Amino acid sequence: MDRIAFSSWNGKVVDNRKGKTAKAVKVTVPKPVGKEKIAALMGWSGLVVMDPAADVLSLTKNYLEEARKLSCGECSVCMIGIDKILDIFEDMAEGFGSREDLAELENVVAHVSATSKCGYGQSVLIPVLDVLKHYRADFLDLIKGDRKLNGKAYSTAVTAPCTEACPASLDIPGYIELIRNNKFADSLDVIRADCILPGVVGRVCTHPCEEACIRNAIDEPLAIRLLKRAAADYDLQSGGSSLPVPSVEKDAKIAIIGSGPAGLAAASNLRTMGYGVTIFESLPQAGGMATVGIPDYRLPGDILTHEIDLIKRMGVDIRLNTKVDTLNVDKLKKQGYSAIFVAVGAHKGNPMGVEGEEEGCVGFVDGVEFLRELNLGKKVAPQERVIIIGGGNVALDCARSCVRLGFKDVEIVYRRSRTEMPARDEEIEGAEAEGVKIRYLTAPMEIVVSEGQFECLGCVTMKLGKPDESGRKRPVPVTGSDHTIDADMVICAIGQSPELPIVKGKKKLNVTPWGTVKIDPVTYMTNMEGVFAGGDCVTGPATLIEALDAGNKVARSINAYLSGTPRLDGGLSFDGVDLAKQRQEAFNAKRDARCVKLLDEKQRMNNFSEVEGGFSADEAMLEAGRCLRCYRVVVWEKAK
Amino acid sequence: MVSIVIDGRKVKAKEGSTILENARELNLDIPTLCHHEELSPFGACRLCAVEVKTNGKWQITTACNTPVEAGMEVKTTTDRVRESRKMAAELLYYRYPETETVRELAEKLGVEVFTEKGEENDCILCGLCVRTCREIVGVSALTFQDRGLGRDIDEPRIEFNPNACIGCGSCAYVCPTGFVQMESEGDKRIIWNKVFKMVPCEVCGRFFAPEDQLRYISKTTGVPFSKLTTCVSCR
Repeated sequence: MDRIAFSSWNGKVVDNRKGKTAKAVKVTVPKPVGKEKIAALMGWSGLVVMDPAADVLSLTKNYLEEARKLSCGECSVCMIGIDKILDIFEDMAEGFGSREDLAELENVVAHVSATSKCGYGQSVLIPVLDVLKHYRADFLDLIKGDRKLNGKAYSTAVTAPCTEACPASLDIPGYIELIRNNKFADSLDVIRADCILPGVVGRVCTHPCEEACIRNAIDEPLAIRLLKRAAADYDLQSGGSSLPVPSVEKDAKIAIIGSGPAGLAAASNLRTMGYGVTIFESLPQAGGMATVGIPDYRLPGDILTHEIDLIKRMGVDIRLNTKVDTLNVDKLKKQGYSAIFVAVGAHKGNPMGVEGEEEGCVGFVDGVEFLRELNLGKKVAPQERVIIIGGGNVALDCARSCVRLGFKDVEIVYRRSRTEMPARDEEIEGAEAEGVKIRYLTAPMEIVVSEGQFECLGCVTMKLGKPDESGRKRPVPVTGSDHTIDADMVICAIGQSPELPIVKGKKKLNVTPWGTVKIDPVTYMTNMEGVFAGGDCVTGPATLIEALDAGNKVARSINAYLSGTPRLDGGLSFDGVDLAKQRQEAFNAKRDARCVKLLDEKQRMNNFSEVEGGFSADEAMLEAGRCLRCYRVVVWEKAK
Repeated sequence: MVSIVIDGRKVKAKEGSTILENARELNLDIPTLCHHEELSPFGACRLCAVEVKTNGKWQITTACNTPVEAGMEVKTTTDRVRESRKMAAELLYYRYPETETVRELAEKLGVEVFTEKGEENDCILCGLCVRTCREIVGVSALTFQDRGLGRDIDEPRIEFNPNACIGCGSCAYVCPTGFVQMESEGDKRIIWNKVFKMVPCEVCGRFFAPEDQLRYISKTTGVPFSKLTTCVSCR
């Protein structure tokens, strides 16, 4: 437990100076990543001092200078207020200050915090009040000339509740602000820095950012996902801008196995850094799960094709129909590849483990395979009734695809209740609107086969028991509730596992008990030198945005590995820190959220046309205007 | 209609209307600077501060862009309101002491001013020009300079896109400080450092509008350009 001399974080004051009994700080404060230690830090939620000798006044001045950089100037009080406070600081430091200045500082902070237009101005200056109250003596010393401000370098970190929730840490307030100011192209630049597939992500992301949005407590969260889509749509409608080509070409080239989101993200990042990149893709189309897992009514094929095209035009070589069954690291190295990134995803459907499953039969198909073949152009003849086992996005995608293929009776069978269903709300609502039935608390026990043909599904009713490791209530079979469900076809979509290439040679790839690749959590390297892994083949089936983030991080890691540059520590971790809370509440008026149109249900039935519409430029700008700019700034002094 | 209370008076307000709109109906004096009836509200100057009670607490908000809610109570002349407006004006005056509009407003709201009549015409980032150009004119030639994480902007400013501008001068018309200047020199108009060729009136010969503006009007209304080359007085 870190010894804390003083803390006002979250408004809870703990003062252990003057040798009082060391009271523990019961709130979670930002902590340095790695071995770095902090002498003192200041952030939107307060001041935390570890080393009693830390220079709190200089820290405050530096904090204000950093805070000034993010003040947008659109409302008169925040930017001018910070400037005025910094001027007073300067006056004090140069011997022109007086005690009255302290009251003025308090006055300005209070006014800016109570009347600023956005959440940033409302929260950023609060810690200055803590310093005025608890370190008043330091100020008086400064005024008297007994203390000087030092010119030390300080470290800064900036985040936001939405940015922190985003697996790829996008600068969300930044790109929203650009849309608000009618700068769609600039907004897209900001997005592309961390997310190279904005048109895709803007349609299918699970948007944890929106769950973290502070507007949830006022009216409705910002439609962050749809704003990202608006930036991408605008670009496409304006002709589609290219991705930048590298300014310097490096000698090294990297081999990437898999052209899914993780592979594509790594490829574009590495290419920007100047590396040669070759992607080996087993399927006839690139894009991984984004192409073969997501149906067209959610993600039209031309969107992903366009975004992959842009990556190819950077000079990335994508070799389709090239499956890497055997990973021969030596051979790849001889071919000139300095590093290898295994990004094969998780495309193998998990078995249910029930009777009759292994033998297989006509009418029983794996969900991932069903979607893949459909997306690659296979014609599926509809039948009267189909049941889909599972409750995730794959199951929902299968169900809604079946509706469009002409299956008359489509029913999802899920072993838990609606609350535990992992699929996105948008998918479940869409499915219900399209006539898909959902049978909850029912689990499969047997695939009943008759003459090689699927006959019916043996099931049992479940009830919800105590939560399991995922935090969701565990399903428990109800004794004596065996029954059967009839259907012409059954699709199994209960999860996926990676199909890893076999490694040639004595050394094998370390895998977990679930068949996923083990990696160093910091470097993303596997147990094999120069071989990295990321995305679904490491985490198990997860979200697209997580795979993109893995690709981004692997690219940076490969660059550090090849150029010999040490990994930089020095970041700040906000794990467990309450980013949503602002110490002082100001009034933020309710504003109606913009909505997009959904394709009428009757028009969805026999085609795969995109269901969800996007924002027009005007609607996007209006929606972006609701953003409260909740940037959270932290400045800290490193310990000696 | 929603029922609200302003300064103790019960008011039936239109849904979606702002506190300012309703206050003006009652002839209550609330100062504004960045507000214009024909434009969407922006809340930049923070001068139209009022106190509002919706969640049991009295809080300061800006009247121009706060929509009414059922049961809302508003106070437009408390000490806290007056202090808030004075501080907003004081901060504006702190940064732009030589701009007359700001100096006058600050004095009116009780700020101690120590400069003589202002000779400067600073841009105070009120956004009136930006909103006018986008919402009324429709060409969006003016925007706030980009900012945000990683974009270290020392001095925010208004950006001008010469390719979109039609030289209509609406921005100069709405600018409260005189920052946006429009000059005429013979058959030329100069605004935001862009030179526009003016069209003479067919009847009186006066140079009355930029060619770019008339072409834009022609394009958006469908009226042929030849029918637009008569000035307002001669029509």
